[in-house]
Amino acid sequence: MTARLVVAWVLVLVPLLYGLVETVRKAATLFTG
Amino acid sequence: MATSTSHPAASSWLPSFLRREATVAPPGFNRWLIPPAALAVHLCIGQVYATSVYKNALVAHFDTSLTAIGVIFSIAIVMLGLSAAVLGTWVDHNGPRAAMVAAALFWSTGFMVAALGISSEQLWLVYLGYGVIGGIGLGIGYISPVSTLIKWFPDRPGLATGLAIMGFGGGALIAGPLSARLLALYDSGYDASDPASIASGAAVASLFVTLGIVYLAYMLFGAFTVRVPADDWQPDGWDPSQVKQKKMVTTASVSASNAIKTPQFWLLWVVLFCNVTAGIGILEQAAPMSQDFFRVGDTSTVSAAAAAGFVGLLSLANMGGRFIWSSTSDVIGRKPIYMLYLGGGMVLYVLLALVGHTSTALFVLLAAVILSFYGGGFATVPAYLRDLFGTFEVGAIHGRLLTAWSAAGVAGPLIVNKFLDAEGEPGKLTAADYRLALLTMVVLLAIGFVSNLLIKPVAERFHEPDDASLPKEGVSA
Repeated sequence: MTARLVVAWVLVLVPLLYGLVETVRKAATLFTG
Repeated sequence: MATSTSHPAASSWLPSFLRREATVAPPGFNRWLIPPAALAVHLCIGQVYATSVYKNALVAHFDTSLTAIGVIFSIAIVMLGLSAAVLGTWVDHNGPRAAMVAAALFWSTGFMVAALGISSEQLWLVYLGYGVIGGIGLGIGYISPVSTLIKWFPDRPGLATGLAIMGFGGGALIAGPLSARLLALYDSGYDASDPASIASGAAVASLFVTLGIVYLAYMLFGAFTVRVPADDWQPDGWDPSQVKQKKMVTTASVSASNAIKTPQFWLLWVVLFCNVTAGIGILEQAAPMSQDFFRVGDTSTVSAAAAAGFVGLLSLANMGGRFIWSSTSDVIGRKPIYMLYLGGGMVLYVLLALVGHTSTALFVLLAAVILSFYGGGFATVPAYLRDLFGTFEVGAIHGRLLTAWSAAGVAGPLIVNKFLDAEGEPGKLTAADYRLALLTMVVLLAIGFVSNLLIKPVAERFHEPDDASLPKEGVSA
């Protein structure tokens, strides 16, 4: 059950993290010009 | 022994592995597997808010207007509201696995049919595919995990639904940059970093096929991970008697057909409509608004790149608000948190209208908090419905309430655009030109605020008889 739990969360958190990093990079231009 | 929660009105034609009774969790099942299952669905359907990546490519491919391409998105959102309202009861009766599989098939098929439409240069097929078929997938997918999450997290329904509905916001954050990279892969002449660069229609069709396959796999993973709790299950250490002590939280059951006869449903409809209309007003206009607020003569001190960054920041605030505020509502209560969204929103909108142009940092801060309230409003509403109507048909009631979203999707941009059209031409507007539109949003929020104040517990005559919400038959799991 623990392994299944980890795999399930990794499967959704990795793409979410990718989206967050890309968006933060884009948002950073607001302050850096 | 776990028993089924088979509903008497469940569809008999469903394959047995999709039926609710096949998804009853065995003893020892970890409920923290349910949020990733829900997220898998919401992260996929959230793509609907990332259509701007290929909008211009479709305009060029079909040699048509932005409006004609924008209709694809509008049809999808209208179908989301309609299918959630019409199919909500089916979703509640047949359980989350059947609903998630249906959503995956509709959403994926929508992409495939739309890809066929792009390849054959038939725009109507894109309307039918992405708009109608995909839109049905959106509606079913959006509500599919809600009642299951609420049943697994009776102690923290706001946190649970906040996590899932946060995924809807997160889906756009993923699909935007991912689509740009895939378009560059399928069309070597396309440069995602150059706003003037336009991808070919063939590249967009390939993108749609790719997304259709990836989303099908992800959503099916969610469908086969999700489980419903056994009827007698409750979290360790949770005392249901604590729920009974809260005045605004019912332990009774109200059916979806009865819920729409209550003033509470329509007051909450107005609350959601006002909150969403106000938020969409800013979201729709975010990039040009950030430049117009700091316009000096013909130029703005905010560059186009910075304006795009502002939109990204609002997406983060929208997503973060869904989780943070909805979780907070578990502690302070649903009615008080909506007082914050609507009352606090009024103050922030007034500040934005009157002093937002004095400082970029202040402007960004005010807009970000407003958008966090917008996201919070979406994420908290399932828990508010649970409090008022119980868990019996909360998914179906949520589906019907989402028609407020469809209506707000039309009203929000319409209000802002009408005011701005009357003030001047795009590219020449200033902060003062936004004042009337923003103050109109304050009035809307005030209406929502009063509606929220008027919400009281649902009268007993709308409650189901004590045994009506229980399954008619028990099946060993």
